Amino acid sequence: MTSLHLMNLVHLVHPTRLRTFCALCLVSIVLVSPIHAQRGQASPAAQRPPQTTTPQQYPREQVEAGRVRFAAQCGFCHGRDAAGGEGGTDLTRSALVAEDVRGSRIIPLVRSGRTDKGMPAFTLPDAELAAIVAFIHDQKRQAESVAGGRRVVDPSDLQSGNADAGRRFFDGACARCHSPGGDLAGIASRLQGLALLQRMLNPAAGRGAGSGRAVPKVTVKTASGEAVSGTLTYRDEFTIAITDASGWHRSWPTRLVTFTVDDALQAHVEQLGKYTDADMHNVLAYLQTLK
Amino acid sequence: MTMLRSVPRPLAIALLIALPVSPRVASQGLDPAALLKPASDSWPTYHGDYTGQRHSRLTQITPVNVHQMTLAWAFQTGQTQQIKATPILVNGVIYVTTPDNLWAIDARSGRQIWRYTYPANDGFHIGHRGVAVYKDFVYLTTPDAHLIALDARDGKVKWNIVIADAKRGYWSTNAPLVIRNHLIVGVSGDFDNLPGILRSFDAETGKPQWTFHSTPPPGTPGSISGGATGGQMWMTGTYDPELNLLYVGTGNPTPVLNGAMRPGDNRWTGSIVALNPDTGALAWGFQVSPHDTHDWDAAEVPVLVDRDFGGQPRKLLLQASRNGYYFVLDRTNGKNLLTAPFATVNWAKEIDKEGRPIPNPDKEPARDGRLVAPDEAGGTNYRSPSFDPATGLLVVSAHDAYGLYFFKPEHGEYGWAGASPAVYGRGVLRAIDYQTGRTRWNHDLHGGAGAAGVLTTASGLTFTGDSAGSALALRTSDGTTLWHSGVGRVGNSPITYELDGRQYVVVGGGSALYAFALAAP
Repeated sequence: MTSLHLMNLVHLVHPTRLRTFCALCLVSIVLVSPIHAQRGQASPAAQRPPQTTTPQQYPREQVEAGRVRFAAQCGFCHGRDAAGGEGGTDLTRSALVAEDVRGSRIIPLVRSGRTDKGMPAFTLPDAELAAIVAFIHDQKRQAESVAGGRRVVDPSDLQSGNADAGRRFFDGACARCHSPGGDLAGIASRLQGLALLQRMLNPAAGRGAGSGRAVPKVTVKTASGEAVSGTLTYRDEFTIAITDASGWHRSWPTRLVTFTVDDALQAHVEQLGKYTDADMHNVLAYLQTLK
Repeated sequence: MTMLRSVPRPLAIALLIALPVSPRVASQGLDPAALLKPASDSWPTYHGDYTGQRHSRLTQITPVNVHQMTLAWAFQTGQTQQIKATPILVNGVIYVTTPDNLWAIDARSGRQIWRYTYPANDGFHIGHRGVAVYKDFVYLTTPDAHLIALDARDGKVKWNIVIADAKRGYWSTNAPLVIRNHLIVGVSGDFDNLPGILRSFDAETGKPQWTFHSTPPPGTPGSISGGATGGQMWMTGTYDPELNLLYVGTGNPTPVLNGAMRPGDNRWTGSIVALNPDTGALAWGFQVSPHDTHDWDAAEVPVLVDRDFGGQPRKLLLQASRNGYYFVLDRTNGKNLLTAPFATVNWAKEIDKEGRPIPNPDKEPARDGRLVAPDEAGGTNYRSPSFDPATGLLVVSAHDAYGLYFFKPEHGEYGWAGASPAVYGRGVLRAIDYQTGRTRWNHDLHGGAGAAGVLTTASGLTFTGDSAGSALALRTSDGTTLWHSGVGRVGNSPITYELDGRQYVVVGGGSALYAFALAAP
């Protein structure tokens, strides 16, 4: 079904599944190379999700009502337990949920949707929304008290590369547009783990405005010869739309103008077909040195 | 039955006597034999007919006049849920669904005739594919895996039965398939380790007829699944009446990303299976994704085509599968005739002598992640393709994509058991030569994976929607845009029909349904 950005996934290990889970750990020692096996022991504290800023209590009945509504409306994408499902993010590790106070951030988002990321807008009664908020916070509270998880990718999992090999690859493939002392200075301090890997592979991926994602620059030449530059807001077969230097939205039918889109993303897309998995891990290892 | 019990006994008896001779029932119900050759004023089953070609003989709207196509009516559901259902049209009435909701709409005017709302429930409300119609019955599957039979005239519930246990994690978005008196219904269930089931019910009474297991209940003696569960058959199949075989694609195995605990091919997950619709017995199976660890079900439409292949007339089955490969099978026996990639792929090490892509172990989910094409959403998905006989093209809503796949033992062995974030994807409408699998043309959908299915017509038109919010009409021979309308993201497969001498094309845009036709006074 829909596939969007699953980031920082985590899941609680169900107590009744611990036995089979542990049995599988033993199998893993045989199946997984030693270098990988060692990395399973990183401190859980190093990968703690954003902590709830304002602790909140909800009545048990409201949480349970929210569990039912959440499963029906949100569960497919975000998981029945809010820890990530098919396509949606892990809400127990969400910065927005951490900052939310009784729906202050969650409810407006649910009502408006995030259509650019595939999340529809929902029209739900206030009581249902409140119950869903209660359930999400309850799940987050439980997630914060448990280490490890079923769907999480830890930064410690992403240490298999060789930074020297990564630097050599970088010099050949990436240095034309990027520099370790310029745009990438301190990148490893700003982004870690899976978030850094995803940004490396696709700079357009990520968590929306303010996170430094690449926005293509556009220059439109109108029929009268006027040239207008700005950042791309929208483009399809029929319309080109930009935000101009003054912050105004402007659009034209594509058949009436010519335009160029300086899309740095394209080089990254082409690179996806060239990386070996070793290359990818090596470049990541190199980027992790740029603190 | 419930309905009759609620009215006074003498009146109930009168109704029982009156119903069988009512001319309205006799003339208005859908005889299941009509599905063998659907009339042009109908779209009586999910794919339009049993072949899954989604190709219409109608020719009033042509490449020359399609730019004059204009809105005939719009139907607002008033919901926020996107319409993902194929509208079903019988006797001038369109039946369209979203989860828990079924509307009966006048196909001439777009006016609502009745609406049925299923009670609130906690099943996944992710989408709904549509209804099935048999005589004066309309059938709706529900998020909590029930099957409801309603009176097509007024939406009154005739019966309500359980398809599968929602408490265990089953749900249903399925548009059932009617074959004679068999009502064939599938379910979903990827988040739990559940046996894969397809069920047939008596279309009149709802009495269970048979259950086919793509994976058996754990512990079944002689199981060939290798310990896998899953393989849910959540999409509507196709049917060859001459061979009396029902074709269905099966889902991916569970646990989804943990392949280590379910060694081997995991039959019959990720497969196309041919079943006897009278008994549910397996005639043959072909596994398009042996031992899948990437969430690539083979639920995509098995399109049935009678054409030459290799210079010989054949009964073919075509599938553009979620794993990025296009397959041509001989549908009499399931033998593979062609396997070729139609979308970006990097996960197979070889095609074996049976025509199956064999996974490269290096691309299985790993602790430090593997960069895999396609991503979890696949090279295509539920959105229906269309086969155009005139050009020999299978037009597919394709997706060139990369994703990351993670699995470590801490992810466990239940449900998803791993992580599979998307990296990049681009939606492309792709016309594939059915004999070679080669791309004849591409049409950029301007965004990620499309949500719209495809309809072709005998006049040489292709109807679909792009990823940016427009319904499109293209020239089938080369993919050129001839018409568009910014109705919002098309989330279903378009249908077409002719009423009163006027051809309509109906698409879902957002949560509304739009009917287009050539301008009329």
